[in-house]
Amino acid sequence: MNGLSTSVWRGLPQAGVAAVIAIGLAMLAPDQGYYLNILMQASTYAIAVVGLVVVLGYCGQISIAQAAFFGIGAYGVAIGTVDYGLNFFVAMLIAVGVSGVFGLILGLGSLRLGGHYLAMVSISFQQILTLVLTNWIEFTHGPDGIRNIPRPRFFGLSLQGGHAFLALCLVAMVLVALFAWRLKATKLGRAMQAVRDNDLAAATSGIDVFGTKVIAFGISAVLGAIGGGLFAGGFGYISPDQFSFAESIVLLTMALLGGVQSPFGALIGTMLLIILPETLRFLKQVYLAVYGAAVILIMVFLPDGLWGFIDDRIRRNARAITLPAPKLPLLSQTGQMSAEKVLEVADLAKHFGGLKAVDGVSFAVRRGSVHALIGPNGSGKSTFINVVTGLYVATAGKISFAGRDITTLSPHQRNRRGLARTFQNIRVFRGMTVLENVMIGAERVGNDVANAPAEVLTRALAALDFVDMRADAHRMVGELSYGHQRYVEIARALAGSPDLLLLDEPAAGLNMTEKVELGNLLKRLKGHGLTILIVDHDMNLVEQVADHITVLNFGRRIADGAPGDVLRHPDVIAAYLGEPRHEVA
Amino acid sequence: MSNFLQLLFNGLGIGAIYALVSLGFVLLIRAASVVNFGQGEFSMLGAYLLVVFFNIFGINYYVSMALSIVIMAGFGVIFAYTTYWPLRFRGGLPVIISTIGASIFLENLVLVLYGPSSVQIDGLFDADGIQIGDVFLATQYLSIIVIATILVVLQYLVFEKTLLGKKLQATSQDKEMASLLGIPVVFMILITFAYSSAMGGLAGMLVAPLLFVSVNMAGIIALKAFAANIIGGYGSIPGAILGGLALGVIETMGASYISVPYKDAFAFAMLLLFLMVRPQGLFGEKISEKA
Amino acid sequence: MQITRRGALLSAVTTFAIIGRARAADTIKIGVVTPLTGAVAEPGRIQLNSTRLAAAKINAAGGILGKQIELLIEDDASSNPGAVLAFSRLAQNQDIVGFIGSIRSTQMNAMAPDMLKLGKPVMFGGTDPTLTHQGNPWLFRCRPNDSYSARVLTNFCLTSLKLKKVALVHSTDAFGTGGKNAMLENLTKAGVTPVLVQGYTNNQPDFTPVVQAVKQSGADVLTSYFTNEPDCAIFARQLRQLGVRIPWVGSPSIISPVTTGLAKNALYGTYGIADFVEDSNPTAKAFANAYRAEHKETPDSGWTYDGMTVLAKAINDAKSTEPAKIREAILSIKKFAGVEGEFNFDKNGDGLHGYNIVSNNNGKIDYKEHIEFTD
Repeated sequence: MNGLSTSVWRGLPQAGVAAVIAIGLAMLAPDQGYYLNILMQASTYAIAVVGLVVVLGYCGQISIAQAAFFGIGAYGVAIGTVDYGLNFFVAMLIAVGVSGVFGLILGLGSLRLGGHYLAMVSISFQQILTLVLTNWIEFTHGPDGIRNIPRPRFFGLSLQGGHAFLALCLVAMVLVALFAWRLKATKLGRAMQAVRDNDLAAATSGIDVFGTKVIAFGISAVLGAIGGGLFAGGFGYISPDQFSFAESIVLLTMALLGGVQSPFGALIGTMLLIILPETLRFLKQVYLAVYGAAVILIMVFLPDGLWGFIDDRIRRNARAITLPAPKLPLLSQTGQMSAEKVLEVADLAKHFGGLKAVDGVSFAVRRGSVHALIGPNGSGKSTFINVVTGLYVATAGKISFAGRDITTLSPHQRNRRGLARTFQNIRVFRGMTVLENVMIGAERVGNDVANAPAEVLTRALAALDFVDMRADAHRMVGELSYGHQRYVEIARALAGSPDLLLLDEPAAGLNMTEKVELGNLLKRLKGHGLTILIVDHDMNLVEQVADHITVLNFGRRIADGAPGDVLRHPDVIAAYLGEPRHEVA
Repeated sequence: MSNFLQLLFNGLGIGAIYALVSLGFVLLIRAASVVNFGQGEFSMLGAYLLVVFFNIFGINYYVSMALSIVIMAGFGVIFAYTTYWPLRFRGGLPVIISTIGASIFLENLVLVLYGPSSVQIDGLFDADGIQIGDVFLATQYLSIIVIATILVVLQYLVFEKTLLGKKLQATSQDKEMASLLGIPVVFMILITFAYSSAMGGLAGMLVAPLLFVSVNMAGIIALKAFAANIIGGYGSIPGAILGGLALGVIETMGASYISVPYKDAFAFAMLLLFLMVRPQGLFGEKISEKA
Repeated sequence: MQITRRGALLSAVTTFAIIGRARAADTIKIGVVTPLTGAVAEPGRIQLNSTRLAAAKINAAGGILGKQIELLIEDDASSNPGAVLAFSRLAQNQDIVGFIGSIRSTQMNAMAPDMLKLGKPVMFGGTDPTLTHQGNPWLFRCRPNDSYSARVLTNFCLTSLKLKKVALVHSTDAFGTGGKNAMLENLTKAGVTPVLVQGYTNNQPDFTPVVQAVKQSGADVLTSYFTNEPDCAIFARQLRQLGVRIPWVGSPSIISPVTTGLAKNALYGTYGIADFVEDSNPTAKAFANAYRAEHKETPDSGWTYDGMTVLAKAINDAKSTEPAKIREAILSIKKFAGVEGEFNFDKNGDGLHGYNIVSNNNGKIDYKEHIEFTD
């Protein structure tokens, strides 16, 4: 599976076939009894587990509340049909809507938190919901549960019978799986994966990290509710104890076992964990202990689950991409410097308590120039970059970009104006291919091709061509050498046609050969008129490419001007306490 | 007034239980950056060990406790090797999930070995409690409060004032660097798990007389202890005890003055409130990531 | 005739084959849905043992319709989907003529649609009154339902103890809530308003708020519906620690050996209603002795023993395994001495209509009286 086909029909034929098979399977199933019940439970649970695939697998956010959303869906349908006489599908729609809203609210909880905090938020939500379902007897019928939940009619066709309702469940499962599969290769899907892999890089690549997380939670809640609503119709009776914390753990385990990165993994995991205990009934008490041990073993040996294991094998045989691509547009600019100030900072300051990392710095970067920012270790260069790109909030001062004040904008908003950066510790999205990484750059809001998926693809390929990485486009970025990952990061930035490219110590960690290559790349970029602000230690590199140098020391600007002047400036020499021409060990 | 005092004392008592369980959590967080969802099962195991030694083999109560603590320490080492060590480079999420698996495994293992019945075990003191006016102070609650306080002080002193504590903190913050400085990283991690496991076991032994020993005994308590941890300040030792006490008192008061069936909801609602408004808790430090 | 080795071997094999096939054909299959794992595995264990005891006894006396009983057991995992799957798995086996179902009403409710579809008799123990008023003709209850438990509790407080300031503490789960509803109905009928109705969530480590509420309500008698034994024991202990000594009569968990073993002297002097009491009648005593002889522990319920026995009796009476005939036979059972009391099946399928009152006399459970309702 590569992200190459952008056709609207992608996957639909296969899904159609799957749906037909599903209906056939349902018709062959016995009308009542064991197999019917198992398949109904498996298919409805699988839908909920696909929700976890989206929020946890794609977006990397831990949610231990999926049973709560499942429960909202089930109770919505049950209360709606039994107490209020609503049509099944209408009740389901309402339930899904309510669940989605709660999912969004839970997502809001991710604003400042991640990992274990978020786990606790989701657990709390889950526990509170169980208590409400049990105790708000007037509305939910309390612990007695709700029985005689009816099954619907579908355009005149009765879904009363076991066959028919199972067919509905299976078709729903196929559609949900299709949705999730296609989601992965969309802009939103890539954004989610970027957030999962490296949320700082995602933000500076133009992705609204918080918004993406909220949407992921919303989607997972909606899918959970769909599964729950169908479950209620399938079993006809629900009670609060079925939607508890323990069930959330069960759903999580199903996602992990099958492979949380893929809806197919969800299907495998659910099937296995529903059918396996049934076949293991002879093991009785022991099987739950085996279950727990299995979770540990999966995490250790099969972190991407069973599907991940299979998918990995498929990926290894992926072939290079030979699609032709037009040249990168920035190449059509002329290599002239102008007086226009692309970036201007005025009295910029960043204090951490008593530490003044950046202490009133002012300078401007002109269009078409390569502007270097240097200074000894601890002089505030990295902090400065972080403030300019929005990862830190400025304590004082003003930042103007292309004439507009961006001082209070968030990182992704700055990127959307055309500000791109790379990081000292390379930040690529390790869970995606080289091409997908660069596509994220190409589809940044504000880029000319952002709304045309086919052109996003070719733009990304063009960027890769420019850095000479086309041959590795289909490979997982984590497989590449450090130096090549650096090029991918640069290509990602270039694909977004930035007005200003910020390079934070691009030579860090590169060997001699790689540094020479980097230098050549920078010269080529300079030759095509890209405005660059580069922070680096390597004086050779800086001297070769810089049109203008600003020097920081102790958070203050101590020199600013043409390279020849700056590098002979006594303050600069003194700051470095050594010869500026050679690499200090 | 006496009603309020009674509620307060018992709230502190149950809060001290949360604090005690929470100490085991905090340690693993501070020293190994591990969030252990199986911490409750450590308590459960400790309680069962006490039952085996005291109820079944009839060994002296205090000796039984000591034996159980030693065994729990050993168990902590095994736990480290199986659940944490293979995943130590993979970041927080796999470890969290692995510990969830461990908790399911341990709970059901004990279920198979021991069965689902609850077991009664004696408390530390023969006397049930002290009556002061209208208020009854249960001795087990008193001992828990006292022991929890002592342990907190000890743990705080070790972490902040001893070389061992510094080494543990160093290991937690940067294993590679610590190793380069000559700190035996593996040993530090094993110590951490061993101590945390023993601490968890001790907590279980202390609450066993109050809650009776069963496989489910520690489940909800561990969850609340974790919540208490976050409220008090994630990774903070004084935070753990204050968060625990606060949680116990608020939950008890909330149950009595507002609604008993929603008692558990108060704990979680309080947690949510903190997470929204002040995620670093009462005493925690803001954590920022270096770009 | 010379017995050759080959001849002997052949006859041995043939004999075993005949016996084997005969044994297979000679059993009558009863399905049992029971919790082997999960939250209620412990009471489940005792119930399964009792079923087995009954089956063994019946088999020793010749079985059902001349055939030996074979129990087919499935684990319901203490959950609703688990129960449904367990039942549907058993339902696939056409040979099963009847079932022993669950003591948990939520699980019975979950299985009820499938049981209705299958159309074979199910003996169950859940006490939710609606289970026999749903129009499902295949459910037969072998324990008195909660409308009776509440009537007995009310009756005992108002008539026997002559105390009217009633406090009610109940679990918020299905059992406790059902009990509460039934209590309120009965108290209202008797013109009494309870001074306290206090719910609590299962698995609490601390009951101080509940105890304080009882104390402050000014009640002179306490009634309770506790589902879990540890909860009841912890509550009892704290009740005594905080100085509450009013008479207390509770639902069956209060006199279960597990609870009394955990709470010890905190429960001395309390009363309980119980469907199963060893000393309440000779059948119960015999059952308890037999159970103890086999398992070295005292049973805390006998409904599955009764369920198995009643089902067997009905099939024998009907002289057929046809479900409709078995149903008729069950409903005709009157004045049948069971472990839990005298079975008189009414048209709804309820077999028992009364409860025993017992008292905890320094750890010894003393049978006081049996209160029966004939309406």
